[in-house]
Parts: sequence; C-alpha cells; structure tokens
Amino acid sequence: MSMLLEIKGLTRRFGGVTAVKDFDLAVAEGELVSLIGPNGAGKTTSFNLISGLDRPDAGTIVFGGQSIGGMAPEAIAALGLARTFQHGRVFGNLSVEDNVLVGAHTRLSAVRPRWPVIGPLGELALALLRPRAVKQEEQALRAETRDILALFGDRLIPRLDHPAYSLSYANRRRVEIARALALKPRILLLDEPTAGMNPTETGEMQALIAALKSSGLTILLIEHKLDMVMALSDRVCVLDNGAKIAEGAPQDVRRDPAVIEAYLGHSGIGQARPQPEPVA
Amino acid sequence: MSSFIDYTVNGLVIGNIYALLAVGLALIFGVSNLINFAHGSVYTIGAYIGWAAITFLHTPLPVTMAIVFVACALVGMAIERIGLRPLQGSARIAPLLATIGISFVLDQVVQLVFSASPRALPNDLPDWRIDIGGGSIGALDLLIAGVGVGAAALLFVFLRFTKLGFAVRATAQDREAALQMGVNVNAVNSTVFAIASALGGISGLLVGMYYNHIDPAMSFQATLKGIVAQVIGGVGNVPGAIVGSLLLGLIESYGIALLGTTYRNLFAFVLLILFLIWMPNGLFGGRSAPQSEPLTGAFIAPSKPLRLPRWALWAMTGAAFALPLVFGAPYLLQTLTNAWLAAMLALSLTLMAGTAGQISFGHAGLLAIGAYASALLTVDLNAPTWLTIPAAGLITSALGTLLIFPAFRLRGHTIAIATLAIGEVVSLVILNWESLTRGAMGVTGIPPLSIFGHEIYAPREVYWLCLAIVVALALVQTRLLTSHFGRTLRAIRDDDVAARSYGIRLDRYKALAFAFGGFGAGVSGAITAHLYSYINHQTFDSQVSLLALTMVILGGMGNVVGAILGAIVLAGLPELFRLTAEYRILIYGIVLLLLIRFRPQGLMGTL
Amino acid sequence: MPANSNRRLTNWLNRLAIVIALGSGGAAAAFAQAAGEPVTIGVSGPLTGQNAQYGAQWKKGFDLALDEVNVKGVQGRPLQYVFEDSQADPRQSVAIAQKFVSDPKIVVEVGDFSSTASMAASSIYQRGGLVQFGFTNSHPNFTKGGDYMWSNSVSQADEQPRLAKYAADLGFKHVAVLYLNTDWGRSSQTIFTESAKSLGVDVVASEGYQPDEKDFRSTLVRVRDAKPDAIILISYYADGALITRQTRSVGLTQPIVASGSVYSPKFIELAGEAGNGVFTESNFFPNDTRPEVQSFVTKFKARYNEEPDDFNAVAYDAIILLAAVIDKYGVDRTAIRDGLAQIKDVPSVIYGKASFDTQTRRVAGARAVYLVVKNGQFVLWDGKKPNAS
Repeated sequence: MSMLLEIKGLTRRFGGVTAVKDFDLAVAEGELVSLIGPNGAGKTTSFNLISGLDRPDAGTIVFGGQSIGGMAPEAIAALGLARTFQHGRVFGNLSVEDNVLVGAHTRLSAVRPRWPVIGPLGELALALLRPRAVKQEEQALRAETRDILALFGDRLIPRLDHPAYSLSYANRRRVEIARALALKPRILLLDEPTAGMNPTETGEMQALIAALKSSGLTILLIEHKLDMVMALSDRVCVLDNGAKIAEGAPQDVRRDPAVIEAYLGHSGIGQARPQPEPVA
Repeated sequence: MSSFIDYTVNGLVIGNIYALLAVGLALIFGVSNLINFAHGSVYTIGAYIGWAAITFLHTPLPVTMAIVFVACALVGMAIERIGLRPLQGSARIAPLLATIGISFVLDQVVQLVFSASPRALPNDLPDWRIDIGGGSIGALDLLIAGVGVGAAALLFVFLRFTKLGFAVRATAQDREAALQMGVNVNAVNSTVFAIASALGGISGLLVGMYYNHIDPAMSFQATLKGIVAQVIGGVGNVPGAIVGSLLLGLIESYGIALLGTTYRNLFAFVLLILFLIWMPNGLFGGRSAPQSEPLTGAFIAPSKPLRLPRWALWAMTGAAFALPLVFGAPYLLQTLTNAWLAAMLALSLTLMAGTAGQISFGHAGLLAIGAYASALLTVDLNAPTWLTIPAAGLITSALGTLLIFPAFRLRGHTIAIATLAIGEVVSLVILNWESLTRGAMGVTGIPPLSIFGHEIYAPREVYWLCLAIVVALALVQTRLLTSHFGRTLRAIRDDDVAARSYGIRLDRYKALAFAFGGFGAGVSGAITAHLYSYINHQTFDSQVSLLALTMVILGGMGNVVGAILGAIVLAGLPELFRLTAEYRILIYGIVLLLLIRFRPQGLMGTL
Repeated sequence: MPANSNRRLTNWLNRLAIVIALGSGGAAAAFAQAAGEPVTIGVSGPLTGQNAQYGAQWKKGFDLALDEVNVKGVQGRPLQYVFEDSQADPRQSVAIAQKFVSDPKIVVEVGDFSSTASMAASSIYQRGGLVQFGFTNSHPNFTKGGDYMWSNSVSQADEQPRLAKYAADLGFKHVAVLYLNTDWGRSSQTIFTESAKSLGVDVVASEGYQPDEKDFRSTLVRVRDAKPDAIILISYYADGALITRQTRSVGLTQPIVASGSVYSPKFIELAGEAGNGVFTESNFFPNDTRPEVQSFVTKFKARYNEEPDDFNAVAYDAIILLAAVIDKYGVDRTAIRDGLAQIKDVPSVIYGKASFDTQTRRVAGARAVYLVVKNGQFVLWDGKKPNAS
C-alpha cells in the first residue's frame, strides 16, 4: 500500500528541550490515524512541522511522494494538506462564509492566472473586472461552501454572514473544519476538534468525522477523548515527551503497559478545558 | 587617525544620551509589549520640571534630580492608570495609538505652559574636562553615562532579586499566566511605568543640561532615536538598549565622518531597517519561538460595521458634487479639497493598515514620492499634468512597494516602526539627492493642473477633480474588497498563520495591497504638488502620516466610507478649532484618546 | 441667492475671526482713536506647532505697530489684523489663502512664516489679486511667484556678501561653513561661498545640518580636520547656540562668525559662556543709535518689559510699511500692489528707509552693524582683529 504521508526521524528542539524526538509515522491513503498522548507530548509540534509552520531540526516528511520538510506552509497547503488549530484560528472579522471561502484559496484558478511576472497584477485586474469565468468560479465555490456548512446541520447555515468572532467556541471549531474541507484536502490534520464541546456536540462531531472517513478522506487526528479515538481510528500512535511510545490498532494500544504508564504518570489528560500547550 | 578616536568618542557620547531614553522604552516594551510613544513627552516634562525647580527654587542638582524623578514617576503612573489600563483587552493597536494621543496632549500642555521658544537649562556641575583624543568630555558626560549604566544595573538587580521584580518578569513572559498565579498585573504595570517615566524625566533633565537647551518639540526626536536604539539592541531588552544606543551613536558618528552631517539620520534609519529585516530581534533578542497563541482578531477591534444603504451613499456623493453650485465659498471648497486629498491618502492607508493589517507610520513618504515624481516630470521634462499624475501614481505604487517589500515579513508593531523609518528615509533621500530633487531648496514653479490645455485652478474645478478621483478610487477599492482579494487580505490581517496554512502567499497579497494603495497616495501627492506649485522635503512630514492613521482609525479600519469620513472630519477639525487656536492640538489629542477608549472600532466600524 | 448665503457665511466667519483677534489682544486698541470701518490685514502664520514661538513674536511686533498707526489710522480708519493659525503647514496656509482672497474685507495678506507654507499659497494670492507680503520669506524664488508677491525680508543676496565681508575684514582666509539645511540655509550658503571666494576667503569645509539636530560633535571634528581659521554659522539662534557650545568640546578654538539670524537675547542665554567672542552682524541692534531703532526699542520695552529681537522688529516693520502704503494709496487690493511699487523711504527699523526694487519686489540696502559678544552682551565690533591661528 502506498503511503500518503511518511515521516521519518522527525526531530525538533527548543533550547534544551526536545519537543519531538526521532518520530516516525506513516499514513496510508484513506486511513484515519490518531495521535494521542499527555499534554506537552509533542502532538501539536508535530502538526506544526508537518504543515510547515515550524522547521524540523532533523528528519524527513514526504507527502504524496514529495519531500515537504521545511517547505513554506502555503506551498504545503497547495499540495492538498489542510489542518485545524488546537485553539481555533478562525478569521474573526470575516463572516462564516468568507472563512470557508478562504479555505478554498488554493483552488482558485480563473482569478489567479499563472502568467509569469505580471500574474499578481493580472489577479488584481481580474478581481476588479470579474469576467464570466471568475464570476462562475466564485459562484461555484459559494454553492460548495453552503454544501460543506450543511454538513453541520443547522449549526452554521443560519449564521452564514455572522462574523466569526461572534460565534460560540464550538461553532468556531466547526467553521475551522469547514474551512479545511473547502481546500479539498488529500489529507486533513485535525487538532482536538471537540475541545470545549459538550457530549451532544462531541457526538455530532464524531459522526461527521466518521462520515468524512467513509467518504475516503485521509485523516490525522489529535484527540484527548479516548472513546472517540477508539471508535474512529484505524491506527493509534502514542507520543510521550516527544517520542513515540506505542503504535497500533486501537485496542492493542489501549492495553499497552507503556501507554498506561504514560497516562497514569501524568496527572490527567486535559479533558476539561484546553490548556495552552507550551511550545517548548 | 586621531580623528577616528574622536569620532568614536563622539559616537559613544551621543549613544550615551540615546541609552537613557532607550532603557525606559525597553522596560515598558518588555513588560507591556508596547512601544510607548509618550516616552519622549515625559522626557520633555522632566526637563521642564527641572527647569522650573532650578529657576524658581534654586535647587542644587541632586535635589532637582529627586524632584524630577518623583514627579515623572507620578506622571508615568497617571499615564498608565488613565490612558492605558482602561484599554486592557481591547485591540493590540489601541494602547499604541493611545500613547501617541497622550504624547500630543502632554507636548501641547508643556507648550501652553512654557511657550514654544527654547529655554536654557544651566547646571551647577564643576566645569572640568578630560581630554580624549583631540577633544574632551566633561562632568555631564560622565554623569549621563553613570545614570544610564547605573539605572540599567539597578533595574537588573530589581528584576532579578526583588519580589516585585519577579512579578514584573513573570508578567513580561506571560501576562495571563501571571494573572492566574495571583500577580497583581496592574500594580506591576504601574510600577514599570513609574520607573521608566522617572528615568525618562531624568534623561530629559540631563540632556537638557547637556545642551543647555530645552524646547517642547524635543520629544518626538527623542522617542524616535530611543526606538531605533532599542530595536537594534533587541526590543524590550534593557542591557540591549544600552548596547544598541551606543552602536547607533557610533554608526551616526562614523556616517558623519564618511559622508557629512546631513546623512546622519539616513544612517540611523537605514540601520534600523537593516536590523528589522535581518535581525528583527536585535542584538540581544535571541531566536524567536513560533507564535504560541492565536492572534485571532487581536490586532483589530472586532465590531459590527455600520452599513449605509447604497442610495444614501449615492445621495451624499451627489450632494458633494452639487455643493459648489449652491455654496461656492472658495475657503470652504479649499478645505474640502484638502479633505479629498487626505481621503485619497486615507483610502490607501485603510487598505494597507485596516484591510491588510499592515500598520504604516510612514505613509507621507508615498505622498512625497508621488509629488516629486509629478513635479519633476512636469518641470524637468515638460510633460503634461494629465499624463504625469497617473504616472506619479504608478511610480509611487512601484517604488513604494519595492521599498516596503523587505519589511513584509515583519508583524504587528515592528512593521509600524519599519514604515516609520522608511518614511523618514524617503524624506532624507529627497533632502540629500540634490541633483534630482534640488534638496533643501525644494521644487518651485510647478505648473498648475491642466487637462488638454485647460488649466484647472478655480477652487471648484479642483474640488470636482479631486472629488471625482476619490469617488473613483473608493468604488474600485470597494469592488476589490468584495472580491476574493479583499477576503484574502482580511484573512491575512486577522490571522496570518492560519492564512498561510490555507495557501495564501503573504508577500504577494501585501505587495498587491501596497501597489494599489500606493497609486492612490501617489496621485494625492501629485495633485498636491501642482496645487501648491512649491514642494520641499518637509511638505509631507511625519505629522501627515500620523494624521492619516488617525483618519483611518476614526473612520474604522478597512472601512472605505469611514476613511473618507475620517478625512473630512480631520481635515475639517483644524478649521473648526480655529476658534481655539492654541488648544487645537490638545483638543485633537483628547479626541483621539476618547475615540480609542470609547469607540475603538471607529465611527463606521472595522470591516 | 447662493451668493447671498455665501456672503453671509463669510461675514459670520469674519466676525468670529475678529472676535478672536480681539480676544487675544490683537486689535483691541484699534477702535480707541481712529473711527469708522476698520481696515483689515490678513495674517497667516504659526500660532501652534513647531514654529509657534515665531507667531508669538510676530504678534508683539504687530501690536506695537498698530498702537502707533492707530493714533491716526489709515485713511482715517483704524487698522487691524486677523491672525489665522496655519502652523506653518502648507495644507492650512492654502485654505487660509482661499479664505482671505474671497473675503473682501482683507486688503492685504501678511505671511506665512516658512517658505514651504508661503509659496504653496502664492498661486492662490496671485490669481486672487491679493498682495502676499511674505516678510520672513527669504527664499530667492518667493517673489518670483507673481507680481502680488512682495517681501521686505532681508534678502540673502544682501546679507551673505556682508557676512563674507565681515569674515574678510576680521582677517580670515580659510573658513568652514555650517549651515541649516533648509531652503534659507542652503541658498545662504551658496551666496556666502560665492562672495567669500571673490573676497579671497577660501571655504574649506561646508556642512549642512537638519533643523532638529542637537549633537554637533562629529560635525565639528570634520570641521576641525579641514583646518579652518574661522567657523561660519548660517544658523538660527537656537542651533547656533548649540554649535557654539560644542566647539570647545572637540578642541576647536577658532573664532566663530555667525549670520545675523543668531542675533537674539536667546542666543546669549542658550550659548552661555561659550557665546563670548562670537562675531555676528545684525540688521537690528537695540543699541543702534538710529532714531527709528531707538524709538522702536523704547516703545517695545515699555509695552512688553523685555528686549525686542529681530523677529519682533521685522514684524513691526511689516505693519508700519503696509500702513504707510494703505494710507497713501487706499484700501483697494490692486492699489496696494501698485502702491508698494511706488512708495519711497518708509521709516524702517531694519532698513532705515525702505523702498522696493520694482524688479525683485524686495527691499535692498538693509542696514547692518558688526557685532561681537562680550561678557554676555552683544556689543558693536571695535574693529580689532582676532589673532588668526
């Protein structure tokens, strides 16, 4: 089976602390892999390294056959990698619809001509003049945006033109996921999608992720709610202190003594509220 | 060779003076993450309090210093308590602008109380000097160095070894965490402002004595040099501020040695820009960790923009066009023409600062480029104005974007400083490039506007022309904002990390915003040049940049209608406030402060 | 109808402005003696901002002149002025220009302070046919703006050759020039250098500095390395004092010869001890025995209880001169322009007797005295040459 994402020997140090240490991971097309581990285990740092927001000190990251380690995040996004953020990073003053449309940025083609040198100026001119192709593209994306938002039932559709800052915490997480889906990703990186959600909302989110998975989307998930992880994952990878301590099928990992030790050794795994995970 | 020693000594002497200022700025930045533009005003106040003590009470130096120290500490605490504390939790830009407003108010109060003319500030130190190289240094040089280094050392001890100092450091590192751990953050901020301002006041006193000269206008230059010095040393780093100051002094001194006196500030600001680009954390800043927390909406006040119905906007536009037919007083039309010219600038700035989130303090530089481009094309090449004005727009667009491009990687406050420096550099290049720009003499005999042989100088014709350009620019800008381009820029503004993660190339879109905005600003500058028929490097000074920024904030960041409204109000205010001539700037500063406090999203709201 | 409401607004604005002028002590004395509708001069100048002190100095000169003029008035009517604050900012001076031009009450305009602000407004005054009397605008191109631009400011073409002559008279052969890098300083420097050359004085170094500069040590090292036998300052009093104080700290002992613009009691105050021995010349010197100077100084001291300086004197002169023109040729705007060309020998503090050159629209032949600072006082130069090193 060909691997969509292949990480080898990934390492990132901050000062004296090694946040991620010699981390290997492979995700196959269509697979859902969960990253779990106590706070500060290096999960979010790994996401930052994969999505290009941070540069690895060592190791390789290959996505769809292309080495992306150290590439700029915008270039990685253009290859079809979308992510959400641990604490939610919606565009506060943009409407829900615009937030999702930004997600489709890499897919704009009519309005972003690949002309050499004057391409950017062409883009400006096309944005201003809006020939038919541009209008159609925008309309198609707007229609698609509604389809994506419809995945969340009545949560977001009535708030289409509300600014994101006015949304509830849970709704912001939903907007983030909708924005990620608008990129039509080949792989989706979800960082704690249910943080701050009540059980009903968590259930809805779980169903949505399951649906995305069954539609064939490859997903890398960071999640603290273990029931959900167990239910959704094809494989689970456990990080502790920046290193991988276990990997395998959910039920195997659950019984792994090293994992139990890691979780018991730390006080709690942060169910209640999202603690800011220190970078270092 | 002996002169080399002299230049070095001289560099250290002036660096010494910058250090006094930079230390206070660094302390405040370190804790409050704020560039305190009011620091120079406290410095001025310190000098004047010292003057009053010496003149009326005949205090000896140590007593004078004690009085200044206590008085300025109180001023600092008042600034923090009244001006800044109420702004906690508002947009990050708010406290920065508040310090600008505070500095307007304080400088103006000093001027009203003591008058604008410079005063002598004598000192009673012994008049002995030590010869070094070909020159000498005196007792005040040593005292200033002593106070600078001593203050830094005391601060070090205070921060390291006292409980309050520990709280200050904790707050500097993570305000939220400190708050949760029971640190009284307000008390910490108050202490920091007291210490920094006391130091600022002492600097003003000593520097005033050093030059035997104090005047109310000394504040802006002082703030500027202090900021440059601390960026070089590492923003918020106290020892770095001292080293940065000495380095700045040395570079200026060697610059003078190499090219002459008029190049001094050019060296200073180019050095600043180089540091911002290659070493944005300064000499002592170390490597920065990635942003750990989202900045969502943090820079711009979230708000519900006020949307006027389209018919109302068209009705107002129609009324504006019809106005000269009904009400043709040239003075009114000229004032409104000034408003339209300011509106072109504000539209440009609201796109860059409001929509794209790239706060610019050097926008007047774009006006200057446009003005000189059109003036020189008409005067030197006899090109017709209907051609040179759009050409000036394009030149400004290209040159402005090129100049700012290296600064695109900077964020938040740093880009504000970089643009301030770029604005100064533009003005200094104009001053020094005599063969092209005629230097200090300025360009005279710039022909009036004309279209196909018809000269436009009647107030109402100029009014209509400028209004038409504003309306055209506003329409184009509004249309761009409703396209994917506007959406993309606003996404960059709200959260550039998330924007990049969704494939947005920041450089490309920031450059496009500057290119489009540069055009409008260039056209505004060009028309101004033809209206005035005379321009020089001071026609578009840093005051204009600050005014433009205030217009944009007043109107609501990114808001097209708001920018125009802001321009009308602020171009009109000085005319209205003529009634209270001497209090104008004071009133203006207070209006700015009230606005930031009670309506940070501006009149029309952030878009 | 529109024209009517226009006029009403203008009138209203005028009344306000006059109220302000009165409130600030402007023309309060005007109504006491002469009767009838007052004749109004529009003043555009800085009352706030960086140059506010100059506006304040103007006012003192203006008010003193008005006291004198309004004993008889002009054409039997009181003379008054309306002072509009421009902050010496071109954006505001052009608006003020439109206001004055369209206000039929204003018969002549005075100001603005800086060339930047004045010349930006010139085309409006020229087209509007209102004389712009830029009495501090020494920019060589100011009066070239049109036949409504007049100035009795001492022209640099007048002053700088005299400064060069003074340097030559003092026996200097190699001088270093420090000049304020503004239009005024730059044009002065050019003229000075030419005149010096023709007098056999070598300019060995020339350094321009920015108006907000305070530290001159390194500049002075450059000057020292050029080995001049004297230092020429083309400065205002504040920066001139700063430079003078700092010469000693870099080991310069050469004498300083400064342009007349440093002449102010403030120069002595700011330069302190270091000011002693500085040579300068001045168009205005309170101890000058000329009667017009003595009468001005006495009256000034009586009214303000302080020594007048150059800016007070030129402001005073400007009003006296315009009053003479209006009195003789009438209150019509064009008549005033024509009158300026014809009037002869108006008593003047600066010129003794002022008459315009109709080609340049400037006054030539400013009086000047050679001065030197001794014991913290400006005194007339006794003709002794310093020991040139």
